[in-house]
Formats: sequence, structure tokens, C-alpha cells
Amino acid sequence: MNNPLETLIIGTIILFVLCVLFWPGKGILANWKKLQKQSLKILIEDALKHLYDFEDKNISSTLHSLSGYLSISGDEAAKIAQKLKDISLIDIHNEKLLLTPDGRTYALKIIRVHRLWESYLADETGVKEKDWHLRAEEKEHYIDQEEANILAARMGNPAYDPHGDPIPTASGDLPVKKGKHLTEAAVGKVYKIVHIEDEPIAIYSQIVAMGLYPGMQLKIVEVTKEKIKFVAEGEECVLSPLIATNLTVAQIIIPEKIKKDFKTLSSLKIGEEGEVVGISRACRKQQRRRLLDFGIVPGTKIISELQGFSKDPIAYKIRGTLIALRKQQTDYIYIKK
Amino acid sequence: MENINNTYRESIISEATTLRWEVGENFHDSLMESIYKNASEIAAHSVTKKNKQQNHTFDQKLDKIITSRMFGFPAMFIVLAVVFWVTIIGSNAPSAMLASVLIDKIHPWLKEIAAAISTPLWISGLLIDGAYLGMAWVVSVMLPPMAIFFPLFTLLEDFGYLPRVSFNMDSLFRKAGAHGKQALTMSMGFGCNVAGVIATRVIDSPRERLIAIITNNFALCNGRWPTQILIATIFIGGAVPGYLAGIASAGAVVGVALLGVVLSLVVSWGLSRTVLKGEASTFSLELPPYRPPRILRTLYTSLIDRTAIVLWRAVIFAVPAGLVIWLVSNITIEGISLAEYFINWSNPFGLLFGLNGVILLAYIIAIPANEIVIPTILMLTVLTLGMNSVGAGDGVMFELESVNATADIFKAGGWTLLTGINLMLFSLIHNPCSTTIYTIYKETRSLKWTTVSALLPVVMGFIITFFVAQIWRLI
Amino acid sequence: MSNSLIHNCETCPAHNVGNLTKLGINMDNFDFVVALAGNPNTGKSTVFNALTGLKQHTGNWPGKTVTRAEGGFLYNNKKFKLVDLPGTYSLLSTSTDEEVARNFVLFGQPDVTVIVVDSSRLERNLNLVLQVLEITNRAVLCLNLIDEAKRHSIIIDERKLSKDLGIPVVPTSARYDEGINELLKMIYEVATGAFVCKPYKIKTESKQVKNAVEKLNGKLLQAFPKLPNVNWVALRLLEGDQEIINAIRSGDLGSLEIKNFIPLLEEQT
Repeated sequence: MNNPLETLIIGTIILFVLCVLFWPGKGILANWKKLQKQSLKILIEDALKHLYDFEDKNISSTLHSLSGYLSISGDEAAKIAQKLKDISLIDIHNEKLLLTPDGRTYALKIIRVHRLWESYLADETGVKEKDWHLRAEEKEHYIDQEEANILAARMGNPAYDPHGDPIPTASGDLPVKKGKHLTEAAVGKVYKIVHIEDEPIAIYSQIVAMGLYPGMQLKIVEVTKEKIKFVAEGEECVLSPLIATNLTVAQIIIPEKIKKDFKTLSSLKIGEEGEVVGISRACRKQQRRRLLDFGIVPGTKIISELQGFSKDPIAYKIRGTLIALRKQQTDYIYIKK
Repeated sequence: MENINNTYRESIISEATTLRWEVGENFHDSLMESIYKNASEIAAHSVTKKNKQQNHTFDQKLDKIITSRMFGFPAMFIVLAVVFWVTIIGSNAPSAMLASVLIDKIHPWLKEIAAAISTPLWISGLLIDGAYLGMAWVVSVMLPPMAIFFPLFTLLEDFGYLPRVSFNMDSLFRKAGAHGKQALTMSMGFGCNVAGVIATRVIDSPRERLIAIITNNFALCNGRWPTQILIATIFIGGAVPGYLAGIASAGAVVGVALLGVVLSLVVSWGLSRTVLKGEASTFSLELPPYRPPRILRTLYTSLIDRTAIVLWRAVIFAVPAGLVIWLVSNITIEGISLAEYFINWSNPFGLLFGLNGVILLAYIIAIPANEIVIPTILMLTVLTLGMNSVGAGDGVMFELESVNATADIFKAGGWTLLTGINLMLFSLIHNPCSTTIYTIYKETRSLKWTTVSALLPVVMGFIITFFVAQIWRLI
Repeated sequence: MSNSLIHNCETCPAHNVGNLTKLGINMDNFDFVVALAGNPNTGKSTVFNALTGLKQHTGNWPGKTVTRAEGGFLYNNKKFKLVDLPGTYSLLSTSTDEEVARNFVLFGQPDVTVIVVDSSRLERNLNLVLQVLEITNRAVLCLNLIDEAKRHSIIIDERKLSKDLGIPVVPTSARYDEGINELLKMIYEVATGAFVCKPYKIKTESKQVKNAVEKLNGKLLQAFPKLPNVNWVALRLLEGDQEIINAIRSGDLGSLEIKNFIPLLEEQT
């Protein structure tokens, strides 16, 4: 007590220990909490998600795929599957794991929470894009349906998540998947394989042998009565129409890439004027709406007017009003001079 | 029938959902585009603008100066410094006047009336010495600075200067992961943290708004300026040669205020990297045209609007504090008051942080209103020393006419330069007053974040004072 | 038009007391409710003060009035309640301010909505005006800060504008109490039905949006045949507005009814 040096050392040690214990996110307490969360519930929910994912892609899931997905041993996977069967969320037929309607509803609920949370992260927080998925993976198990509904209502019930996937409604509805036979695809467009018909087996195995899989993206090069030519993963493939009818594809609406000769608003020098041609798709929801509210729509003329000593933000004259925007935002706004 | 209607209505909702999936995310964009297209057609039809070329208007010139490298920051500091200077200087006289009326005149007069109608001593003590005095202190110390500060601030706001401050400060706050408008809520906090916390409504991203709320406490508020000034005058001013005393103490106060700004940036930075992780997101700020403020109207409205509301809240919280102060110093067990028990028990802890038991107790009791910290400290010091010649009786808050007399009491209480410095630090870095805490709860609607905002500064305060104290002693 | 005045006075005052009380408005002793909407920085609060005499603070700062301010005034022996809505750039986003403003104009069905705009930035302000006109049929446009516009040599033909928008347009300079009397007069006329508005409706270009709105309109009108602003409700449904979804689910949307003199207007046209 009387020796300041001693007190100082003791104090520092105590402070250090407290930090190690309680540091948010990385402290022992936080880690312990995280560990506690690795419960059976999470395994079950993840298993259902896996089954739904495979069902969605029309692949059948097995114990093997399950154990791989959950990174657990085969025995443990079998236990989980049995557990799921006991609470009648899945059926097991010939080693194939199949969702029951209840199981599907449950899975959709988790997917709803996951996609809602991603939307929340994307729209209302500054969390980086690469972290959205992982954070939502954690969070999806801790938000109940009521909380999810409140969250959804507050965000204006988003219909799509930031990756463009539809968000199931509270009652578990999803838009009907639209798709067409590969033979009907249009040249020059990009498609995703949504379904591979597994009958007749001869054709199916041929497709599989070519390395085509559900979810694979294709760009159609040529469609004639004799052949369908497309590029997938950098390789050109040719299919006969007979085989191609066994593939269902859906067009991917890739956000229209703004042509390269357009400049961003941030490139405008002080005193210069530009005309808005669009706002990048990466700028979402609240952020995007703010910009639109200011009247930043295609055709709007914007003058870069005032640069403070920090160079960022810059004030722009937009429809008669002076509005300061950060570079981060003006990078999203495409203009032509 | 009702059921059929219900199902039909549900079908509208599900139809809408399906349509939303079909229309996709472009819906809002195309709607806004149409609205603006309609708007410009209508405007073009009825608006005519003569002489289009008028490039260098007054606004543009002024903006160039105010946001320039040369004048931007200096102008900002000068304007804020003038506002504070006017507030501190201008409120001295009215504060003294209010104190002389409320405390020197009305208080004894109330006591006389109580005695005349033979009110039991404990009732008059509780109500008059406790509740009334607590309120009187808050009113006399808080009202004048607020009545000056808020209108001045409002004038700046009406003129259009404040958005420019925010424009200038944004890059600094962006680097700290916070919002540019936090510069403004912070400046508001210099007046009163409650006003500062409410002002965070202008920040529309929830993460950055929380950061602004949590760090607002680091803006040294009105209630704490008097403590800073008094302690700086006694201890810092007293530690240097006489001719430097004024400058040194003023410098110390400004230093503490600046430390507050730095801390608020550092804490914002820390928060945005740990619990409130994220990038600084959007910042869109309209810089409205400069408009000559209407001075009289502003004075009137800001008094009604802001000063009265903030003062009223403070009074509500000061009254119970006054009661508690009176109670703890008058309820005795075996002749020793509760206050003394606590002070004796907590003194060793206080010393560990370069403070003492009196200060700790004063800060606990004064959670409702920082204004009463100094009167409470004086009262408690006198109480523990048993100096019967000074003061106004147990549990009665008072202030002394001269700084010297105050200094004597402090020195008798065993205060050193270190105590002074650490009191100044702790006054800056401790939990917000209960009015602010309550406001934070009302604004965030979250117990968790209210707790964080309350505990984070006090923990930091103890850590900082601890290290200052121990290193000081080491040297 | 004059006959509509007589027709309405018996029926229109405080026609919507239930909904307004739900929104926290004390409707004792008031004949009409007037909502005040506008962009930030348009001097909306100054207009509020000029109309009511109450000294609410007016700031040159966006997002000032977060909580709603209320006041009252008397004109031609009618008592008006004035509700100052938060200043917003739009009514289509998810911020609390916009929600408050939007829900008040929709569910509160004020007798008149005064939209305050900055005259020198009319085009930009029209964004909000057009949105308000989608929700309500009774509005007055207040061309505020007209002095500033004049200084910048901006001239607005208010008659043309009034004709285009289908609502009364009053130029004011509330800071100097100019034009307030005319504003009061027009509020009175719209409230009593002496002036019948024929508000401009947004013309959507996107076929996809148009189709979706039409589909929903049909369904909505079947369930709520008296809905006055079916287009807006459809637009909000497409934006996923929870308040609207709830109102449809509970059937409360049915309480929004076309005011008495709207049929008259249709007869005239």
C-alpha cells in the first residue's frame, strides 16, 4: 500500500487479468460464452439447413454429407440424424436423409433469420461484406421468430438479402423457383443450374461426368437445334439437346455492370459538373435511399463545389442544395461528364 | 363472413409479397426516378431563373474560408472558446445573485418560518436543508450558464455554422469509426450532456449513434466546469508562481476539456473496433444557406425550449439528492453519521486513486447532479474534520465566499496537488449524471447500452486516476 | 364550388376523431386538424410559429423536430389544431422521422396538410410534395423563403404551379410574417371544402411497377372500397411497410374513408 511501485505493479497486473477475462469478443469470458453456444440445438439447426440446401439443389443428402458439413464424425452425424428422426423433422430412406414438412418449415425459419440478419448487417451497420455470412451463421440460432419479425418490420420487410437470395416470409413462403430447360436459354445471358434431372440414369451420369453441378454458372454461347454451347468455369462445353433438356437453369440477374467509361462522382474535381447515370448496387437500402432522397437519380446534374481541408467529405451542389458526402459514398455514384 | 374477409385480406398481403419478389429491388429506385422526373417537369413549368451566372455568392466565399486549411480549425476553436468564455464569465454574476437570493435569503427565511410554526427539526432539516438546498444549488449554478450557453449555441445553429463544423470535423471522426455529426453532439455536450445525448438523433445510423451517446459524457458539461475552475485555481494556480497562476489554471481547465475531446475520439475508435464493430458508414449532411439569425426570437425560444426542459429535469433529480445528503450526514449510529462511516471505510480506496473518501462519497451522492459536488465535498470535509466554526451545519451544503477559505478547508482535509489533479481528472471521467443516464435509457431503450455508458467512463476514470496517482508517488 | 361549402360544414369538422386520438392528439374543442410537413431547412418551424404564435425553436439544422410539436389557432371562428411533423426529405424510407410523418398523414387523415417548401429549391422539395399528395387529397403548398428566392432572381409562377399540382399555393416569408394571412385563408378554404383540391398523382414509368400497383389496387379496393389513397397503400405494400400490413390484416385500413366532398369533386370533373 505504501510503496507506490508495488501498488503500481499490482494494479497493472489486476488490470491485465481483468482485461484478459472480460475483453469483449476475445476475453476468456467471451470465449467461454461462445463455447457454451456450441450446443446440440446448433448442430440440429445446421443439419436441417444442410438438408434444405441439398434438397433445394436436388441432391440427396446422406450421413456422409452431413458429417462433412457439420465437421463431426460419422457416428456423431448418425446420432444427430437419429435425433432429428425422433422429433420427426426428417425421414431416412435408403440412407438418404429427407426433410419432413415440419423439418422444411424449421429450416426455412432459420434461413429467414440468417438472411434477415445479413440484410441487417448490410443495411444498418458498418460490418464488412466478408463478415456478413459468418456473423449471420452465429446469430441465426439466437433470434427467435418474434424477434425476427420485429427486425423485419423495422427494415421494411426486405424481400431479398444482400446476396440477392429471397428471404422466406414469416409463414415460410419462398418465391417459386423459376427455371427453364437449358435448350430454351438465350444466347449471351448468364444462367445458373438449378436442377439436374436424375432420370434416365444414363443421361444423368453423363452430365455428372462432365462435372456439371447445381449452382454452376453458365454463359450461353450458342443455341441451335443440334447443340448447345456454353462456357462454364472458363471451359467451353457442348451438349446435345437431348442431354440439355435434363438441365433446368435460371437466369441470374447480375447487377448491370456500369460501363467502364463512366466515372464515379468522387473523381469529379472541384468546380466540375457531372450527370448521374446510376448508383452502384453495392450501395444498399438506407444508404441508397438517402442518396435517392437527395435527388441523386439518373439525369441529375451535380457540381462538386466545396472541399474542406481534409479532402473528404466534399460538398456537392445537388438540385440547388449543398450536400456533403464522404468519398466512400461518392465512389458508388456513377456519372458522365 | 368475418373469416372470409380475413382470408381475403391475408391474400392481399401474400400477393404483395409475391409481387415484391417479382419486381425485385429496383422498385424503390424506379419510383424515386419517376417522382423526380415528375418534379422537374412541374418545376420547369412554373419556375424561371434570371441571370444564371452568379458563381461567387456570399455563401460560397464564406464556406471557402470557414472550411479552409488556414482558418477552418482556428475559427472553430475561437468560436467555441468565445462561447465558453462568455458562458463562464457571463454566468458568474447571475449565479452569485441567484445563490444570494435562494440560499442566503430564502433559505434562512424558510428555516425561520419552519421554526415559527414549530416544525420538527428533522422535517425542516430534510425538506429545507436537504431537498430545497439541493434544488437551490442546482438552479443557481446551472440556470445562468445554460441560459447563456444554449441561446448562443442556437444562434450559431440558426446562422448555419454548426453543419460546417461537422463538415470540418468529419474526417477526424471517420478515422475513429464515428459519424461527423458527433462533433456537434459533443459540442452540445459541453453545455449539457443531456442535450448532447438528445442531439444524437441527427445521426441516423444506429451504430454510430450509440458511439456518440456513449462518448458524449467525455464532453465536459456545464455542471463540471465550476469544479474544474475552482480546483484548478486552488491547486494548479497555487502550485506555480503568482503571476502565472491565472494562465496555469485556465490552461489546466482547457487541457482537461481537450483531454475529454481526445478521449471521446479514442473511445469511439475503441468501440468501433470491439463491441460496436464496423466501418464508419454513411455521412450525408445538408449545408444549408447562411441565414441571418433572429436574435431576440432565438433567445426567447431557446430559453423556453431547451433551458427550461433541461433545468426541470435537473431539478427533479437534485431534490432527492439533497434529501439523501441530509440524511446520510444526520442519521447517526453511536454518534457517528452514516457519511462518516462510509468516508472512513472508503478513505483507503480513495487514496489508492489519489482521491479520498470524501470525494468518493460526494460523487456517489452527487450522481443526480454534478453541480452539487463541490458543496457536498466542502460539507463532508467539514463534517469529518469536526470544524464547527465553518459551514452551515451537518448535512447543509455550502460554498465559501473566497477561494482562499475553500483552499484552507481542503488543506485541512489533507488534500494535496495530486488530490486536486485527480479530482479534475475524475470529474471529467466518471459516470454521467443520473439525468443523462435516464436520457440515455430513453433514447436507446436498452439497458445494456445504458449500463455500458454509465460504467465505461467510471471504470476508465478509476484506471486513469490510479496510474496517475501511483506514478506521481513514484516520482 | 360554393355549394360544396354548405354541404360540408355540417359533416367535416373533426370527422376522424378516433384515429387522431389514437395518434395521441387531444381533439377536445378543435374543429380541424392541420398537419405541417416539409423538408428540413425550409423554415417549417418558423411557419409553425407564425401560424400559432407559439415559440417553438427553429433550427437551421436538418432533423430538428423529432418529437411532434402541437399548437392551435383560431381563424374565422373555427378552431384549428396544428401538428408539426418531423422535417423529412421523403416519406418512403425507414427512418423514424419519416414513419411518424407518413403515418400521421395517412392514418390521422388531417383535414389539411400544409407542405412547406424552400422556394429557391422547389424542384428538390417537390419530391416530398408529390409523395404527400399521393396520401392526401387536401393540401396547401406553402412557398416559404420566397424572399430568398427573389434575392437569387428565382421567380415562381404560383398560379401555374397551383394548377399543375391541383392545390392552393401560397408564397410566404414566415421569418418576416409575410403571406401568413393568405396561408391561413387557404387552410381555412381547404378545410371547409371551399377549395376542392385535385392533387397531382405520380406518374410511374416502369411497367413492372405499374402492373404491380394495378394488381394490388384491384384487390385492395375489393376489401376496402372506400379507401381514398389506394395507390399509396399499394406502393407502401410493395415497400413492405409493416404499419400498412398490420392495418390490412386487422381491417383498420377500412376506417380510412373518402371524405364527404370527394364524390362532389368527381361530379364536377
